[in-house]
Amino acid sequence: MLLKTKKLMKAFGGLKAINKVDFELPKNEIRGIIGPNGSGKSTFFNLVSGVYDADLGSYIEFDGHDITNEPPHKVGELGLARTFQLLRLYQDMSVINNVMSGYHTLVPYKFIDAVVGRKKIWDQEKVIKEEMMELLSFVGLADYAEMNASELSGGQRRLLVLARAIAGKPKLLMLDEPAAGLSPVNVDNLMKILMRLKEKYGLTLIIIEHILKVVMDTCSKVTVLDHGEKIAEGTPSQIKDDNAVIEAYLGKKMDDEEMRKALAV
Amino acid sequence: MEKFKEIIRQYPFLGFIIAFFILMAIPSIFFTDLYQSHLSSLIFINIIVAAGLNIVKGYCGQVTVGHVGLYAVGSYTAGCMFMYLGASLWITLPIAILVTGLFGVAFAIPSFRLEGPYLALATLGGGEAIRLFIENGEFFGSTYGISSISQPELFGITFDTPDKYYYISMPIMLIAIYFSFSVLRSSIGRAFMAVREDPISAAASGINVKKHKMLAFILSAMFAGAAGAVYAHLPPGYIHPNNYTVIEMVTFLAMVVFGGLGHIWGGIIGAVIITIVYDLTRPLYEYQLFIFGLTIVLTILFMPKGIGGFIDKYFIDRRFKKKQGVASK
Repeated sequence: MLLKTKKLMKAFGGLKAINKVDFELPKNEIRGIIGPNGSGKSTFFNLVSGVYDADLGSYIEFDGHDITNEPPHKVGELGLARTFQLLRLYQDMSVINNVMSGYHTLVPYKFIDAVVGRKKIWDQEKVIKEEMMELLSFVGLADYAEMNASELSGGQRRLLVLARAIAGKPKLLMLDEPAAGLSPVNVDNLMKILMRLKEKYGLTLIIIEHILKVVMDTCSKVTVLDHGEKIAEGTPSQIKDDNAVIEAYLGKKMDDEEMRKALAV
Repeated sequence: MEKFKEIIRQYPFLGFIIAFFILMAIPSIFFTDLYQSHLSSLIFINIIVAAGLNIVKGYCGQVTVGHVGLYAVGSYTAGCMFMYLGASLWITLPIAILVTGLFGVAFAIPSFRLEGPYLALATLGGGEAIRLFIENGEFFGSTYGISSISQPELFGITFDTPDKYYYISMPIMLIAIYFSFSVLRSSIGRAFMAVREDPISAAASGINVKKHKMLAFILSAMFAGAAGAVYAHLPPGYIHPNNYTVIEMVTFLAMVVFGGLGHIWGGIIGAVIITIVYDLTRPLYEYQLFIFGLTIVLTILFMPKGIGGFIDKYFIDRRFKKKQGVASK
């Protein structure tokens, strides 16, 4: 198992945002997480990536390491990358610097080399830059490398965030609504990139997404959260037919009788 | 030209050696009196402070208003070591750098929890506390200051006049700029910027936010310490608590803001211009604070990236036009 949580819990005051979630994710899987707004999907990400501390009794294991309540940079160093729903791009940095700062943990030279400014590090920086340019052209942003990140369009920003997250060569990539606000064409493009990513880097992915097409087409398994609890888990087709999921998230078709009642109220 | 640029990029030391020889030649060609040498030394000292301030404020985004306190620590470490031990610049300089670096740690700790204006207030308090501590301490010469601090000797020459001291302050300034460039152009500089832009996503990329904030404060404190020590030994070798007030802090801030926050040359351009303006406006002493305050406000309003950003924009536009020209052909 690459990622494992046991009895994961987090309460904000009286609200149990995540309640006893057991979650297991083997390597090389694309897992979707769906659920209504406020069901605890993003909280789950924040707990795993260390942005929030989990409540007592929780246990999170990543790649054989106990990462419960580890600070986010430690989790990042172990090879767990994530994106944010609100992107959190480095607005005032060039596109290439955005991606290169994602490479931070893999930089081969030491602090003292950088301070003294040895020639060695210039050569290594050049290699890193070339590698990152390759990554940028992979997501289709190579032409914008020297531009400020704030000058990119919404769709390009989403791709840049993706590129920054894979720059550090993670083992697990957690995407928080990667397709939110994208046009249908761009959604298709994103899905293609995601599939190619998985093949090229051998990534394991967790995707939170409200565009069901993305989840149904790319994910091999889907976990459904509602009110902080896991209510279903299975292949996309199983999930589609699960009654609890339909009730909580997908919504069901009303017959005429029910419609009339609903309208009367 | 392109080839020359590439060589400089490969051997960053080369550019500094060229700059060294040019700056060596300048006094004998252009300077007509001692005051110009004195002013150049002041410019060099301010460049060191501004280069350091640019690390913590421009790159790492931590608003510190207590830097003048660190500058004072550097000066008084040098001053006291001279007063009690008779040490020369060659000994006081490295020790001042170390001691000020330690004080940098104290300034970094509030930055873990405070941001923006709140951090500014905390560091302002720290800077003022240092000044008041010096002003009221018998050990530090209290309000009399420390006078006739010795000038360094090298190869049998005593650098005891402003025109000679120029050759001490200038190489130290070049070394400081070299260090600031090599730090800021490495992955550490990028990590600083990431911390400035968004600490949460920086942490998600595996950047230790606290460690880098600490590093930025310590590095910039070391620059301030070096500048302070060089200032203490500047002929006639006199330091007084009144040289380290909020007014000086505002001038340092004006340098970094005017030169361009987060621009690698920002502090340096700003330090040169502001020091000269500061000197020219000396007769208007009562209005100086007003002028620099206004400079900061106007720069932020109309030129938020300072002169550095302005120059950058020019070059980017030109490159863009060149590209377009190639495309249209």
